[in-house]
Amino acid sequence: MPTIITCFKWVIDEAYIRRGSSGDLDFSAVDYKISDYDRNAIEEAVKLKAVHGGTVASLTVGVPEATKGIKDSLSRGPDKAFFAADASFNNLEPSQTASLLAAVIRSFITPYDLILCGEGSSDLYTQQVGPRLAEILQIPSISFVQKVELKDGKVVAERRVEEGVEVVEAPLPALVTVLPDINVPRIPGVKDTLMASKKPVVTIKKEDLPPFPAPCLETVEMKAAKMDRSCEKFGTDAAEIARFVDVLRKKALI
Amino acid sequence: MSGIWIIAEKKEHALELLTIGRVLAAQMETKLSAFLWKDQNVPEDYIACGADEIMLAAPGSEGQSLDAFIPVIAAEAENNHPDAILFAATARCRDLAARVASRMNTGLCSSCTSVAYDAADRTIKMERLAYGGAAVQKVICKTRPVMVTIPPGTFEQAKAEAGRTGIQRELSTPAPSVLKVIEKKTKVRETKDITESRVIVAVGRGFDKKEDLDLARKLACALGGEIGCTRPISEENHWLPEELCIGLSGVQVKPDFYLGLGVSGQVQHATGIRQAKVVAAVNKDENAPIFSVADFGIVGNLYDVVPKLLEALKRV
Repeated sequence: MPTIITCFKWVIDEAYIRRGSSGDLDFSAVDYKISDYDRNAIEEAVKLKAVHGGTVASLTVGVPEATKGIKDSLSRGPDKAFFAADASFNNLEPSQTASLLAAVIRSFITPYDLILCGEGSSDLYTQQVGPRLAEILQIPSISFVQKVELKDGKVVAERRVEEGVEVVEAPLPALVTVLPDINVPRIPGVKDTLMASKKPVVTIKKEDLPPFPAPCLETVEMKAAKMDRSCEKFGTDAAEIARFVDVLRKKALI
Repeated sequence: MSGIWIIAEKKEHALELLTIGRVLAAQMETKLSAFLWKDQNVPEDYIACGADEIMLAAPGSEGQSLDAFIPVIAAEAENNHPDAILFAATARCRDLAARVASRMNTGLCSSCTSVAYDAADRTIKMERLAYGGAAVQKVICKTRPVMVTIPPGTFEQAKAEAGRTGIQRELSTPAPSVLKVIEKKTKVRETKDITESRVIVAVGRGFDKKEDLDLARKLACALGGEIGCTRPISEENHWLPEELCIGLSGVQVKPDFYLGLGVSGQVQHATGIRQAKVVAAVNKDENAPIFSVADFGIVGNLYDVVPKLLEALKRV
């Protein structure tokens, strides 16, 4: 029966980011969440378990506050969680995240059959951590997957490419990154949340892991994206609709 | 040894990379090399369009996956020390780029919207969108080679110039990958490609049921445009095909006129319409984020407003 690892990132919910007056980003009112597509990865892992049995472990690397994310992940169905936590595991760059995830998997969750990740994180969306992790672990990876099956020691996945879909097969262990339309992630209920608090969590300290590499990329600036629009509002009565249509006509749009 | 490399599967993407590659190579006073798969493309075309050197890879055999070329690319890069490798940000190349970057212990800047050489500090500065498009992240890479993926459509395609010359060399044939492509299903487009549409009417969660999309279709027809949608409409409701989903992870559109109906304006969707010339929206929630990224907004129920608009358009 397969051991499935599902990796997730605890991220700032971008819906709460405001644009500051000087074009900076205002993070003062933000909340955090499990990165959107990682929820699809967790859901898919739990669905595969329903078919094949086995165990599902959720895994994240992050700051100690991400413990909320660990509970959230467990309320979505995995049996246990692994949490590499340290205050320095903040603003990690993809090469560092992949390196830390690989170190945890090698030391604490081996052997395994399948690793599932979201195709990209909803904060930085670099779409690298999955394939980088597979490269470090020297296992095959299939990205942008809309359907995944396990059969006869292999993973068979439908990968979406520009021309259509490729059905790809790889021997296990393997890594798959999933697209958001692979499933609809469950919304955990009260019972799920209660059950989650009883599930085992293995917390791993920085000292338990090999030193992780220095960042390759450096962010030299992060500013709010400009969207200069005139933001003119209209009502719904006949005169307002006529005014709206008139504006479009003057702009030669109709 | 140094240089700028470009890697793309398709010629149209390679030509775009040659455009930016040429700029970087000139500024950095180095050569431009293109990696290409022998069976698909004509090396001389690439040389005419700006490549100084062509690295010819053996054609992938039937069912072979691109990842077989990871060791070939990495070994070539180890031997030749390019300054930068630019990949087309297509599905297979994004995957390939991440694995090559990992193997070479270097940084990869994904989906760059701009790549520029700064002669003052001799670095390549790259820009990309972050937080669903709410932010622009400027990045430098401290390791070599600098690796970049660039979405198709970011740069113009390079044009052939008469009299250009370049060298060609063949790379070793890779061992087959354990990953096998066992079937290819070519997409049959059900709809027009909305990235080229002049007018787009986008539908969002404000619609109660699938049949009501006819309202949007009628309006699109009256405006001479096509319909598009937000992610929940294609992904959760399956009311429209995924190729009509506008957003950072869907299609990014650049119409003259975009009209959102019942679209809340989540940042991922708003990012997909950044390049629209004029943005208008109809939403009953006056605080909907779409209004802050729209030029013209009608605060009202689309079921009330759209028939009125159709009527008013008849009179124009």
